[in-house]
Amino acid sequence: MLVKVKSIANRGMQTFGVDVEVNISNRGIPGLEIVGLADKSVAESRDRVKTAFQNSGLQFPNKKITINLAPADLNKEGSFYDLPIATGLICALLEVPVPECSLFFGELSFDGSLRHTKSSFLLSLYAKENNLNTIFVPQSCAKEAASIGGLSVYGVEDLSSLVDHLTGKNLIEKYCNLDSENEAYFDKDSSEYNYVVGQGQAKRALQICASGGHNLIMIGPPGSGKTMVAKSINSIIPDLSEEESIEVTKIYSLVGKIPPNFGLLKKRPFRSPHHTISYAGMVGGGNNPMPGEVTLAHRGILFMDEFSEFSRQVIESLRQPLENGKITVSRSRFSAEFPCRFTLIASSNPCPCGFYGDPNHQCTCTENKIKNYRAKLSGPILDRIDIHVNVLPVEKKLLIKDSFSSSNETLDFIKNKVANTRLIQQKRFKDEKIFTNSEIANSQIDKFCSFGEGAKRLLEQAIDAYCLSARAYFKIIRVARTIADLDEKSDIEINHIAEAVQYRSKFFL
Amino acid sequence: MAGEVNDFDTSYPKMLRQIPSPPKKLYYKGKFNKEIFENCLAVVGSRKMSPYGERVLEKIFSTLAPEITIVSGFMYGVDAEAHRKALKFGLRTIAVMPCGIDLIHPEGQKNLYEEIVSKGLILSEFDGVFEPKLWTYPRRNRIVAGLSMAVLVIEAASESGSLITARMAHSFGRDVFVVPGSIFSELNSGKVQISNEFAKTIDSGFSINKFFNLNYTGKLSEECKINNSEILNYLRSIPMTIDDLKKQFPNKDISQISTEVTLLTMNKHIVERDGVFYAC
Repeated sequence: MLVKVKSIANRGMQTFGVDVEVNISNRGIPGLEIVGLADKSVAESRDRVKTAFQNSGLQFPNKKITINLAPADLNKEGSFYDLPIATGLICALLEVPVPECSLFFGELSFDGSLRHTKSSFLLSLYAKENNLNTIFVPQSCAKEAASIGGLSVYGVEDLSSLVDHLTGKNLIEKYCNLDSENEAYFDKDSSEYNYVVGQGQAKRALQICASGGHNLIMIGPPGSGKTMVAKSINSIIPDLSEEESIEVTKIYSLVGKIPPNFGLLKKRPFRSPHHTISYAGMVGGGNNPMPGEVTLAHRGILFMDEFSEFSRQVIESLRQPLENGKITVSRSRFSAEFPCRFTLIASSNPCPCGFYGDPNHQCTCTENKIKNYRAKLSGPILDRIDIHVNVLPVEKKLLIKDSFSSSNETLDFIKNKVANTRLIQQKRFKDEKIFTNSEIANSQIDKFCSFGEGAKRLLEQAIDAYCLSARAYFKIIRVARTIADLDEKSDIEINHIAEAVQYRSKFFL
Repeated sequence: MAGEVNDFDTSYPKMLRQIPSPPKKLYYKGKFNKEIFENCLAVVGSRKMSPYGERVLEKIFSTLAPEITIVSGFMYGVDAEAHRKALKFGLRTIAVMPCGIDLIHPEGQKNLYEEIVSKGLILSEFDGVFEPKLWTYPRRNRIVAGLSMAVLVIEAASESGSLITARMAHSFGRDVFVVPGSIFSELNSGKVQISNEFAKTIDSGFSINKFFNLNYTGKLSEECKINNSEILNYLRSIPMTIDDLKKQFPNKDISQISTEVTLLTMNKHIVERDGVFYAC
């Protein structure tokens, strides 16, 4: 008897349909065989399914069973073929029809229950695109799979409930998402913006960075609060829009980073890889390419603390992602393209000992040491960073004194301002493929950046006075555009340009 | 123009002849003439110049008479900046090398070297591409001190090479000037030591002009016009960062202060070094 069950296979961010064909034959030596380029994790499915059958009180047939995963030339990996195989066997044995237009997906445990399985969100995206309106996933994945909407999602608890459902004895209830509250999944390592004492300029820069998606670098001695400032961006940056949320959830689902019973991700990702990260860890890699940190930071923040300590290869690998917002990882068998439109926040010491420019400490580095240290940062990467800020240590008396209340800008006020600025940009770029001011191409500057009286003249004078390059010119305009948006002005005015000039690159000329 | 000069030649610098053990032979590149050895002022200081040191050079050199020749050791830091500022303000300059005449040391300053060759003079008592050694630096310092009528110490930690040059010059009977510094800076301690012993403290180039009997009133203060900005008034007394200014002016927000500071900088009322703003 032959039964066909539908499932999927993932290659990078792409999803393909896979037919799981189960054939039970009375002839031949009894056993279960899986064909169709299945890797080890799929082949092991045989033992999981067998044991799960026995432990669920089902009779495993003593016949020759062959399972084909079609198309046969596509590599299959992952443990989620357990459920389609088991479904095929049940339908073949009990001679019940396989539900129509349905996808099956999930890993079995020996006791017959279903385990949380990664990339169920990709399954539901595939289902929606291909008009397959029913999906069967493990119970804990139901929320993730249902978050896309418009699908009948069945959260299967264990094999026996599946048998009851398939035979029509006792139907599984369709999953319906009752609570649609925001998921606070990334919210573990943030400092609150208004608890950062002093550092007014860095905080202002952070506001601009959060509003316009500009890349930011902070340079200062150790202990001056660079890391704290960077992490506080989580408390002011607005949540993902729905469109963005789907993109981000897709990535996190692919790598299995969505915990059980979680749906769409709402908070922006904040990734802070350690500086010992490998090249493949940063941009993605593997035989079947998987996303790296740049992709996990998509639509969010990639925070690189101690930027100059990262290996040269890792820093240079950021060029393409910063430029294009996507990265292609090519391996001999397959190449995958991952999105990676992130905001880079980098922090670094000004020199190897860290105290160059610190008023309280003497720097002990030689000129050459400082030069070599900075040479690592210079070049194309720094060119992509719009905002440069010097961060000096906060005076101790400021820390001791309770000065949290001194700021007249409350957290909510800033948060609203940033969110509002994002809205202004969303309107401006509704016909474009970009979301923020930082993405404006040089050729689009004239289209989106209009100048008020005297502003352009001031910019030209500033170029002369500060000996700025052509690249710096465009950077200043982009930052000034965001500052004007924060001010809710449609034209860039003199004061916006003047402020933007303060964030130009000063360190590595 | 390159060549060499022996201690019996008439063109051999007179001042150098007076020291206890003058070099027998000097190799040179650049403009070797009699005038360049007149009114020589040696400028010495730390290899690690602070922003303060740079501003001191800028301020003092801008008021020096053009007849003065700046002599220094071409090392990075104060030495190199002294040569640069001398060229910037149209002063003559001599770089004395601790290595062979054909070697550029430190090599990163090739551009400066070439500019000095074309507009000033490079001197060395060593031939060819002789590498600098630990012992050649004091020999070089002796020439720097020996050529000059006075030594100006910009920044010097205690037990630094700059102090050795200053003491040497003192032992040759030359005058030593120091510029006051902040008592919180390590680069001030050496200056305090020698000013307690023999050095004179100065705070502008006019006292140096006077020392050389040169009458020069300078071109100062034309650019630094008075501006009634509150920020400028504060910066006149203490250099500050934008965050410091915010503390002084709690009513202004950071964006207003940034704006004002940019405009002041563009009008050349203030300058910025590593995030700190100084009034001109």
